[in-house]
Amino acid sequence: MINFSNVNKTYPGGYLALKQVSFSLAAGEMAFLTGHSGAGKSTLLKLISMMEKPSSGSICVNHNELADIKYQQIPYVRRGIGMIFQNHNLLKDRTIFDNVALPLIIEGVSHKEIRKRVSTALEKVHLSAKLRCYPHMLSGGEQQRVGIARAIVNKPPILLADEPTGNLDPKLSLDIIRLFEEFNAAGVTVLIATHDLGLIARMKYRTLTLKEGTMINDGIVDGLQAKGGIDE
Amino acid sequence: MSELHSSGLVEREGFFRRLLTLPIRHLQQAIGSLGDLWRTPFTSVMTIFVLGISLALPATLHLFVKNAQHVSEQWDSASQITLFLKLSTSEKSGQNLVNRLKLYPEIATVHYISAEQALKEFKILSGFGQSLEYLDKNPLPATVLVTPTQRSSQAQAANELLAKLLKEREVEQGKLDVEWLTRLEAMARLIEDIVVGVALLLCLSVVLIVGNTIRLAILNQKDAIAIMKLVGATDSFIQRPFLYSGAWYGIFGGLLSCVAVAVLAEYLTGAIAELTDLYNSSFELQGLVFNEILTLIGFAILLGLLGSYISVRQHIRAIEPNAD
Repeated sequence: MINFSNVNKTYPGGYLALKQVSFSLAAGEMAFLTGHSGAGKSTLLKLISMMEKPSSGSICVNHNELADIKYQQIPYVRRGIGMIFQNHNLLKDRTIFDNVALPLIIEGVSHKEIRKRVSTALEKVHLSAKLRCYPHMLSGGEQQRVGIARAIVNKPPILLADEPTGNLDPKLSLDIIRLFEEFNAAGVTVLIATHDLGLIARMKYRTLTLKEGTMINDGIVDGLQAKGGIDE
Repeated sequence: MSELHSSGLVEREGFFRRLLTLPIRHLQQAIGSLGDLWRTPFTSVMTIFVLGISLALPATLHLFVKNAQHVSEQWDSASQITLFLKLSTSEKSGQNLVNRLKLYPEIATVHYISAEQALKEFKILSGFGQSLEYLDKNPLPATVLVTPTQRSSQAQAANELLAKLLKEREVEQGKLDVEWLTRLEAMARLIEDIVVGVALLLCLSVVLIVGNTIRLAILNQKDAIAIMKLVGATDSFIQRPFLYSGAWYGIFGGLLSCVAVAVLAEYLTGAIAELTDLYNSSFELQGLVFNEILTLIGFAILLGLLGSYISVRQHIRAIEPNAD
């Protein structure tokens, strides 16, 4: 579902964010992506979602070779990727319903279908009662769950999460990860970038560890192993 | 886009179903963009006023040219040609000439004034009635008044017609006062050119004003646009409400300009009536007719769309989503 082959990314100014990164994530797989700040986690997620272009190497996402994708086709690739961010990226002047419905409105789904799917998505994240609220009326954890509902509402085959539990307490963090597990059980490929070593150690999923742009580990790790990528 | 894999798990709605809902989505976005204007009343009203005034100026100048043309149409009789016939021309030859002239495609009407009739009129109008009794023969020739058709009334065409008429054997002399007509036409052309120039400049300003207003609206919603792009919105989906905003500015600006022109015309009607009374003339100022109002509003919509299109093409593509 996601395939990186010798991917390099150099930012203007010469900063090398990713060096010869190669890995594959099969359909229906769930994995963590970890590493210290500036290791290249966010860059890797941006490359998958086509917010950045690789300097060299090949990336294949959802059977699409990204190098062949034209500018006009990028939105259609993104519709197949649900993205969740630490800062939620919600539209402040729209209700929770409108925020979650946005990907469906963009796709031109009918009103009846939108109402049905948004209700289902909000039920999954236990926010059915808040659909008329605005983002500022919700707590950080609730806003994160709205972001998750928006990411899954059009049932994408891939979910990317960039520090989804960054501002949440351990219990809420675990709840969010349980949600990802549910989606993964339904066949969704999930890649979660996180600093939370405790979480990684507890969940026992495949973990990709980046250090200064290089993939130093790929496999199920314990907390201490992952810590090597973060602390040194 | 058929080769592209966007979502593997989601069941998609049919193409035709989506095609059917397309007008509804457009309508929703059009109404939504009207709501956006409503939410920023000060900016919207200011922009609409600037557009209305900018469009009212060329519309008023158009009204001026239209009325000037109407006036000059009333003066077309001034391009009448007077043909003085040879003294030797008999009444019968004069009538023959009139019949021949009536067949000219360039001539609208022909009026024959016999020598006797001319003398009679001269006696009455000149005040020399009694003195003229002493003349043993009538010194005045028969005259033919020729009114050219509308097309042949212009200076050059009227001159060409005169040259043609002078070739008629019965005609001794012909008279056409074309110099002032030429001046009037040159003046009308100059005014028309000025109107076109001013209108072009003001239309350009309308495009720039709308473009700048839309640019500010885009920058104001930069974060929202970035989020929309993140969740898969195409540029055309994002730019549509801004294009509708441009169209709304055009509609309201066009309507305002129509009102401004009508108010100005009403204001000038009194002054014009006063002036024409002094010349014992009756002239009624013509306002914008229904077709002209529709054209003005349609043109305003086009300008609004053009301004917003230029702005969205330039700015929306430049906004890139950022996950940070």
